[in-house]
Amino acid sequence: MNRWTVGLLALALVSVIFSVSIGREVSFPEALSVLRYHAVFGYGTIPDPIADRIVWQLRLPRALLALIVGGGLGIIGAAMQTLVRNPLAEPYILGISSGATAGASLFYLGFLPPLISKALTMPIAAFAGGLCAILIVYSVAGSRGHLSVARLLLAGVAVASLMGALASFITLSSPDPDKLRSVLFWLLGSLHLATWNVLIWPAIAVSIGLAVLLALARPLDGMLTGDESAHSLGVPVESVKRILIVLASLVTGSIVAASGAIGFVGLIVPHAVRSFTGVTHRKVLPASFIVGAIFLLWADLAARALLPGAQLPVGIVTALCGVPFFLILLRRNRQGFG
Amino acid sequence: MRQICLLLLIVTGCTASSERERTIQDDMGRTVSLPSRIDRIVPLAPSITELLFASGAGSKVVGVSAYDDFPTEVDALPEYSVLPMDFEAIVALDVDMAFASEQVNNPKNADTFAAVGIPVYFVAVNTLEDITRAIRDLGDLLGTSEAAQGRAMQLEDSLAQLAALTANLPEKPEVLFLIETATLYAFGQGSYIHHMIDLAGGTSITRTQSTRFPVLTDEFVLSENPDVIVGSFGVEFEMSELLSYHPTWDILSAVVSEQIHGFDSDYYLRPGPRLVEGAWQLAGVLHPDAMTGP
Repeated sequence: MNRWTVGLLALALVSVIFSVSIGREVSFPEALSVLRYHAVFGYGTIPDPIADRIVWQLRLPRALLALIVGGGLGIIGAAMQTLVRNPLAEPYILGISSGATAGASLFYLGFLPPLISKALTMPIAAFAGGLCAILIVYSVAGSRGHLSVARLLLAGVAVASLMGALASFITLSSPDPDKLRSVLFWLLGSLHLATWNVLIWPAIAVSIGLAVLLALARPLDGMLTGDESAHSLGVPVESVKRILIVLASLVTGSIVAASGAIGFVGLIVPHAVRSFTGVTHRKVLPASFIVGAIFLLWADLAARALLPGAQLPVGIVTALCGVPFFLILLRRNRQGFG
Repeated sequence: MRQICLLLLIVTGCTASSERERTIQDDMGRTVSLPSRIDRIVPLAPSITELLFASGAGSKVVGVSAYDDFPTEVDALPEYSVLPMDFEAIVALDVDMAFASEQVNNPKNADTFAAVGIPVYFVAVNTLEDITRAIRDLGDLLGTSEAAQGRAMQLEDSLAQLAALTANLPEKPEVLFLIETATLYAFGQGSYIHHMIDLAGGTSITRTQSTRFPVLTDEFVLSENPDVIVGSFGVEFEMSELLSYHPTWDILSAVVSEQIHGFDSDYYLRPGPRLVEGAWQLAGVLHPDAMTGP
C-alpha cells in the first residue's frame, strides 16, 4: 500500500458517492441521507421512498457494477497482454464477447427451443455463448500439452468473426424487429441493467480473478521475457497459460453477461497504468483494477449526463473519451509500449 | 447514363420524352417528375399503404411490403421486402410510381428506383395535421381528390370531437407512453404522440426529451412518477411483465392505482390515419367517464 494506491482508493470512494448523488430530482443532501440510512442500519430519518429507490436500488448498484466491470476488464486486459505478449491484446481477444453476444441474441430473439429458453436468462445465455467460443478457441490452440500463442490469437480472431456473423444473422432474420434495438443496446455495452442481483456473479468472478492474478504476479513477470526464458526461470509456463485462460473466461464471461461488451477499457487501461508504474505485475495489476474501475465509473457518469433522463450506452463514451486520451499518452511515451 | 436511359426508352417503347413532364415537390423537398399515367403504384412502408387507401387510391396499389396487414384488401396483394429493399420484386410488378416514408425508407433507395425509371414520392408525417395534409396531397396527385377530401374531413371531425370532449376536464393526468417493456424506448421532442395524449386529456412526460426516440432510465420514470403508463405492448399485455423488467417501479402512482395499459402498436407506431383511433383509445383509459358519449 503506497501513497498512490491509497490516493486512488480514496478517489474511487469519492467517485462512488459523487455518482450516486448526481442527477436530476434527488438532491445531494437527500442522496447522502439515503446512503447514511442504509449504511448505518436505519440511522436518521426514513428517506422518501422514490429517492430511496433511485439512490439505493438504481444508482448505487450501477456505480458498483461500473467499478467491478471496469476493474475486471483492467486486470484481464493486463493479463492477456502478458499472455500473448502483444500490446493489442484485450479481454475480448479470445472471442468471449462475440460468443456472449451470439448467445444473448439467440436467446433474446427467440431462436432457442422453448424448453431451453425457459431455463435460461439473458446473462446465462450470454455466459454460455462466451464459454462455447473460448472452448473452440482453446481446443484449436492447444495440442500435446503445449498452448501456441499465435494459434490462440488467430483462432480467437476467427471465432470472433464467426460468432459476430452468427449474431448479425440472428438479429437481421429476427421476426421481432422491436427486440433488435434492445439487443443492439446491450451489444454496445451498457450498465443500465444493474441491480443488486446482477452484481453478485461479476463481483465474485472479479474478486477471484484479482486474487489469483496477484498470487501469480511473479510468474507473470517472468512470462514477459518469453516462454523459454520464463521456463528457465522456473515458471511453469503451460500451467500459467491455462490458468490465465480459465480466469479470462470466467471474469470476462460474467462481465459481458452483466453489461455487454464495453470496449477499450481492457485495452487502454493497462497501457496507461504501465506508463506510470512500469511493467511489474505486483504494481500493474492493482493499479489497472483501480484505474479501470474509476475510468468506467466516470465514463458512465458522462453517459448519464450527456442525455439527461435518457440513456447512452457507456461503451460509446469509453471510446469517445478514452481513445483520444490514450493516443496522447501513446505519443508522449514512445518507449514502454512493447 | 444517357445511353442507359436511351436504351430503356427504346426497350419500353416509352414516349414520355415527347410530352411536357409534370414535376412536383414531395415532403422532403425533392423534385419528383411524374409519369404521364399513374395507374400502378406501390407503398414502401405500412403507414404509406394506409395513407394511400385513405386517399381513395387503394385500387391503384399493386403490391405491399411484407409488414403490411391493413386494410384487409392488402392480404390479396403480392408482397415484397422493404428492409432491405427488394428492387427486383418491385420492378417486376411493372409499377409507375412508388411512395416512401420519410421515417422508414432510406432516401438513397430513390436513386436506385430512378435508375430503373420509377419515381419515388416521400411522405413525412410528424404531426396529426400531417396525416390529413398527406391524404389530401396524395388524393390530388393520384386523381382521387374528392375521396381524399372526404376521408380527411372525417378524420378532422373525429379529432375535433375528441378535443371538445377533453377540453374542459378538471384534471390532466401525467402520462408515460412507452414503445416496449424491456428497453424503455419512448417518443421525444416533436413527436405526434404528445399531441395524441393531449387530445386524449393527458400530459406526456417525455415531450421535452431532446432526442427523437430516447431510451429512458428507470430513474427518470421514478422521479417523474407518472399517473398513467401506456404503451404499444399489445393487447394481451399484463402489468406484471413491466414490473418484472423494472422491479423498482412498484411504488409508482400508475402501478399502485393499476393505471397501466397495453395497446395494439399499429394505432401508435404507424404514422397514418389510424392514429386518430389511437387517440380515442387513449382517451378511453385516461377519462373513461367522459367518453360515454354516442
